[in-house]
Amino acid sequence: MLRYVALRLGIALLQLVGLAIAVFFVIRLMPADPVARLVGLNASPEAYAQSKAALGLDRPVTEQLGAFLGVTPGQPGGGLLQGSLGDSWETQEPVVEELARTLPVTIEIVVLALLLATLLAIPLGMYAAMRPGGLADRSAYTWGLFAGTQPDYWWGLLFILLFAFTLGVAPAPLGRLDPVLVPPEQITGFILVDSLLRGRFDAFVSALHYLALPVITMVFTISGAIIKMIRQNTLRALRSEYVLHARACGLPEKTVARYALRAALTPTVTLIGIFFGVLLSSAVTLEKVFSISGAGQYAVRGILNFDYPAIQGVVLAVALVSLLVYLAVDLVHAALDPRARH
Amino acid sequence: MRGGWMFRLALAITTIVLLLAAFGPSIAPYDPQESTGRFGEPPPPLAQWPGLLVGTLTGSLERAPHWFGTDFYGLDVFSRVIAAPRTDVSIALGGALLSLVLGTGLGLIAGFFRHWSTALLVRVSDVLQSFPVFITAMVLVALAGRQTGNIVLALCLVYTPIFLRLTRAEALTQAGRGYVEAARAAGAGPWTILRRHVLPNSLVPALIQLSATIGFAIMLTAGLSFIGAGVPPPTPEWGLMISQGAGDLNYGWWWPSVFPGLAIVITVFGFAVLGHALEEKFR
Repeated sequence: MLRYVALRLGIALLQLVGLAIAVFFVIRLMPADPVARLVGLNASPEAYAQSKAALGLDRPVTEQLGAFLGVTPGQPGGGLLQGSLGDSWETQEPVVEELARTLPVTIEIVVLALLLATLLAIPLGMYAAMRPGGLADRSAYTWGLFAGTQPDYWWGLLFILLFAFTLGVAPAPLGRLDPVLVPPEQITGFILVDSLLRGRFDAFVSALHYLALPVITMVFTISGAIIKMIRQNTLRALRSEYVLHARACGLPEKTVARYALRAALTPTVTLIGIFFGVLLSSAVTLEKVFSISGAGQYAVRGILNFDYPAIQGVVLAVALVSLLVYLAVDLVHAALDPRARH
Repeated sequence: MRGGWMFRLALAITTIVLLLAAFGPSIAPYDPQESTGRFGEPPPPLAQWPGLLVGTLTGSLERAPHWFGTDFYGLDVFSRVIAAPRTDVSIALGGALLSLVLGTGLGLIAGFFRHWSTALLVRVSDVLQSFPVFITAMVLVALAGRQTGNIVLALCLVYTPIFLRLTRAEALTQAGRGYVEAARAAGAGPWTILRRHVLPNSLVPALIQLSATIGFAIMLTAGLSFIGAGVPPPTPEWGLMISQGAGDLNYGWWWPSVFPGLAIVITVFGFAVLGHALEEKFR
């Protein structure tokens, strides 16, 4: 097992290096001019050249790549090998630090949403599958047709209009904490965890309040796909021979359902792993709606400002998280399904 | 698909959307990019709609009604919503069709010829597929310039691997079939076999995938402009309208953002269900 994990981590590391080099070249192949973006179009040629040298863009590409990877010096704080992604061109702060601040914000929302969506989808999907043709089954089927067709940012706006502006039960979309509260000092970056660790229950309650709408929006838009998956897999499991056997043995329907659930969960876990990556990427739009300064907003800012170190950092960080989640999913898969263990 | 009505509904939606992409801007009652001078006018109450509709048809109204109201800039929301498919749907259609052609072509070659270069092609495509879709598209469009052509190319890059993978899997199984063997025995060259025999038999999965991909591409196009990395304002475009309408929510004006979102949901639903129905029919 340990060997398998080490092997997978090694492959993931290689993939990341490949991705890093690919991203490095792709953004430099684009006809964008980050120097002009930084100094303005009316800058004198001297100022332009000076800024270009300050960004290190006057050096040959191979030298830039070496500095980025950390093989050759030239980047403050070293390169990838030294665990650095360079400094943001816009804020002059180390990208790694900025990511450590923004990425947990996004991950927190995605994890909460996936957790809630799965907890909702398992009973609903199973209930639908146990009574094919019933009202629950038809609703689950129809809802499943909407899977992947929902613009989450639009639903977020509708929910804000309804719950915050009309009913007044949710806070206005102003980030993740009541603006009058002092945020708890960062330990993990997950605001719920940090406020508990610091003993700040007022912040904890406020954070829950502010997280509710974005998380509900995400649950709403992804639950269709998860319910669909659970329903289909339970249906397939219920038609299998071991369920027939269990029924023939006279086992109560509850026990049969538990057997079917276990078989239905395995592919669902894989799906949830894939969703994690998708949501991490699509959180970009949702964060804008709720003015949450997570990795998505960071990505947008970096991209629109042609901030190459920030772009490279975000893409690599999202890819790293996705790869780690895939690994975790495969381990859970192996725990659920003995056939996958080898 | 349960009941043909869902399929027919999807067919109707996609037909209307495609027609709007062709004629939307010309049948819009107001210029979608020109202010009407009436700012933030709400849509008429539902009770007045039948009367207004009759008035519109008989031509007895002094000016066309603002069915969906007007926004902060005084633009007619209805005209913009029906003019938007020209942007959204043609970009999505272009991106999806380009990926279909490219992905199917490369997938056929990768599935039919076993060579180190085709193996490399598949690995590259796998790596591409592992990129975070939305962020990748955002980077490409923002850095290449926010022109329509660049959005189409970004969509193509993001979706080609899906078609490549589907077609390659199909071509792999078809290449082992007896009729390929027979064609080879009859003296046909590999390219002839590929074009005349393997291609028609490997197309089905990719064609089924096309409809759903168009839907996703519409979502992606709208999402890009929502965050400000898509087509520039004041182009009539659904995502851009939602983004601008979000500010109007502060005044309690819900109509500038609600109607374009509804249009996205209905359109993408139509393409998704159509794809779903085709899949059940042909598999």
